[in-house]
Amino acid sequence: MSLDVSSREPVELLSTRDRTLDAVDKSNRLSSTKTGGKMVAEYWENIFTAKERGKHVVWYNGTALNPIFQAAGLEWCHGEAFSARLAAMHLEGPAQAAGEEYGYIGELCSYARTHLGCAVMTQKGITEKQNGIVGMVDQEELASKLPSPDFFVNAYAGCSTGQQWDAMTYRVFGKEFPIFNVSLPMIWGNKKDAGYLRGSEWEKTPLYVEEQLKKLIEFIEYQTKRPFDWDALSENMFYIKRASELRLEAMALCAAAPTPATYWDWVASIAPINFMPANQALVDYFQGVKDEIQYRLDNTISAVQNEKYRVYFDGIMNWNKLGWLTRKFAEYDVAVVAGRYTHDSFWQEPQLIDLDRPLLGMAQHYLICPINHGLKIMEELLIKRCDEYGIDGIAFHSTRTCRAMTNPQHILARTAETERGIKSFFFEGDVADAAFYKDESLESGLVAMLESIDMQRSRALV
Amino acid sequence: MAESGAANWFVMGVDLGSTTAKVAIVDAAGAMVGSKIVQMGAVSREAVRVAMESALEDAGITQDDIVRTISTGYGRKLVPSDKTFTEITCHARGAAALFPGVRLVIDIGGQDSKAIAVDSDGLVDRFAMNDRCASGTGRFFDVLSRALEVPIGEVGDLAMAGSNELEVSSMCATFAETEVISLLAQGAETADIAASVHKAVAARTLGLVAQVGKASPVVMTGGVAKNRALVHFLSEALRLPIEMLDEPQIAGAYGAAIIAREEHLGNVALAAADDATATQFAAGLADAVPHCADCDGQLGLHTNHGPVPVTIATRPMVGARSGGREL
Repeated sequence: MSLDVSSREPVELLSTRDRTLDAVDKSNRLSSTKTGGKMVAEYWENIFTAKERGKHVVWYNGTALNPIFQAAGLEWCHGEAFSARLAAMHLEGPAQAAGEEYGYIGELCSYARTHLGCAVMTQKGITEKQNGIVGMVDQEELASKLPSPDFFVNAYAGCSTGQQWDAMTYRVFGKEFPIFNVSLPMIWGNKKDAGYLRGSEWEKTPLYVEEQLKKLIEFIEYQTKRPFDWDALSENMFYIKRASELRLEAMALCAAAPTPATYWDWVASIAPINFMPANQALVDYFQGVKDEIQYRLDNTISAVQNEKYRVYFDGIMNWNKLGWLTRKFAEYDVAVVAGRYTHDSFWQEPQLIDLDRPLLGMAQHYLICPINHGLKIMEELLIKRCDEYGIDGIAFHSTRTCRAMTNPQHILARTAETERGIKSFFFEGDVADAAFYKDESLESGLVAMLESIDMQRSRALV
Repeated sequence: MAESGAANWFVMGVDLGSTTAKVAIVDAAGAMVGSKIVQMGAVSREAVRVAMESALEDAGITQDDIVRTISTGYGRKLVPSDKTFTEITCHARGAAALFPGVRLVIDIGGQDSKAIAVDSDGLVDRFAMNDRCASGTGRFFDVLSRALEVPIGEVGDLAMAGSNELEVSSMCATFAETEVISLLAQGAETADIAASVHKAVAARTLGLVAQVGKASPVVMTGGVAKNRALVHFLSEALRLPIEMLDEPQIAGAYGAAIIAREEHLGNVALAAADDATATQFAAGLADAVPHCADCDGQLGLHTNHGPVPVTIATRPMVGARSGGREL
């Protein structure tokens, strides 16, 4: 070895957005998810023209109320979904700047402040039309293309920002459009009989939510001046149930090692299951994903070259860094196989959906949002996933502006260590603000965890 | 200098931090026979070269006597070495070797701070790092000394002479400077400001410790460990004594050298590619990371998971890093 250090490459200090990993890409993403990308792009393009087509538009956040909206013949704009899309496309800047100009500071949930920025831009667009002055908002900016709402529906589980966010959006539009609020209580899980999908609390709370959903439908009927199509709702839930079953069956195949698909593939599949129209195309999408995974299993094709560690991801996705993180973890022979955000969300208990009484199953799903449980249930779910997927370590994405997701993380880390000897690390980032991510921090934590796992394994050999 | 005939091979640990390069040389018996700490600017490659040359000179050997080098620290990828390890692993190993029995290592360097829970074998049990904010790091104290117009080496002594009753609300390095200037403008004594800032940093470090669990004995490593005021206030906050090393900055490099020695001796050999080793490795895994065999890779609905060992069939990737099994 030489002492000559002049030939070594300097440390790269550029933003991760401006550079790519030097290492060979060892990830092998599913190709079938590209279909989902196309579906989502078409969905948004369609939304942008809703007003021209004379459609009623509803803005909402959080909970997947879209089957109700679809049955009512509405067009729906999901706030986080659009913020995530902007961030994934690295186009969140104009919206966040607009939000900041309006007074929403960087410590506020970046989903919310991105979407509020979109609201500000959309509202400016309305003002332009009223004033006859054009050009105030650059219509080429994707962030400014959302159609203005006819009304808002707020139904946010486990996150106080969710309610305030809709309340603020309502005010951005001058309180001119009505808002309906569905209250989703937290599932505390602290009674003696409590647990995931069991106990007296679980039996009662969904009934309360189901009643509110009936009221929501009355509100929608009043707004649209049309009777609600209950058959259409059952049909929508039929497609969602089937899509969800296929999604879960495909996820279950990833318990195999090496895994044929990773958490990042499930992140790419969030939009379809979360807010795409419920129809045969949705079912076909998840059938395609499952088929590709089965093909990979049959032909020993792994999602990460040389899988050596199986990691669970806790935290909301860092949408700015989806591709980056996919490659980054794979570079270290890490297959991220499951996560709280992907595996404990999005119609994850399809057996609860009764097509003859769809609102109850929907209410139940709205309550099992992964940030809406007490700690006891979160611990139960975490250990269950770790066992199912043979988890070696946990990456806790300390989502800077999402307190709801990060609050329990340190206790969950301790639980995994105590109950299963599973190592973990934390790294900072955010859902839609790349400024909070620091690559060195992720790398140090990840590698230190892998070193601990190596040591754990080599000790077991002695 | 290494004793003649005491050992015929040596290993080197290099810790390139954000502000300082540290090198430790260990002989075959595990004794540190040479070391050097050099401060020459941010992530300085020149500092590495000087530190390596000086440490070799200190040990009385040449580069040809070094059989393995491991680098660590913020700039570890810049260092010519056989392998890199994180400073978390290296500081834990170094601290455990320098202070046997240690259970909690607090490493505060120029750029970051860490709390590391160490097990009875001196290996990392849990760790927590500061976020990307420079609060509580060496950088933070640089900012404080600049604002107070006191040399960095004297800011700790100044703090020990003051009262810590002032409220310092901001822990952001940039905002803290503003706040310090504001306190000065209000007529506060520099010693009181220094003491209050040190107390606030100690409180923040306590939060880091809470993430891994308080344990003793506690050892501080990194350059900030030389700040006696911070050690004092942190000890008060922890309600535990903090053990001091003779040279806290060398712990990471020493830990890297210890790992280099173990690797050279084959004590931490990775699983080999052959099936026999893979089987043995998997059996070891079963003890180390138990999983629920009832699930056996299936997403069943049962919730009563037991700590049942995993089997080789569910984890066929072992040995793959050695380029062994193709799956």
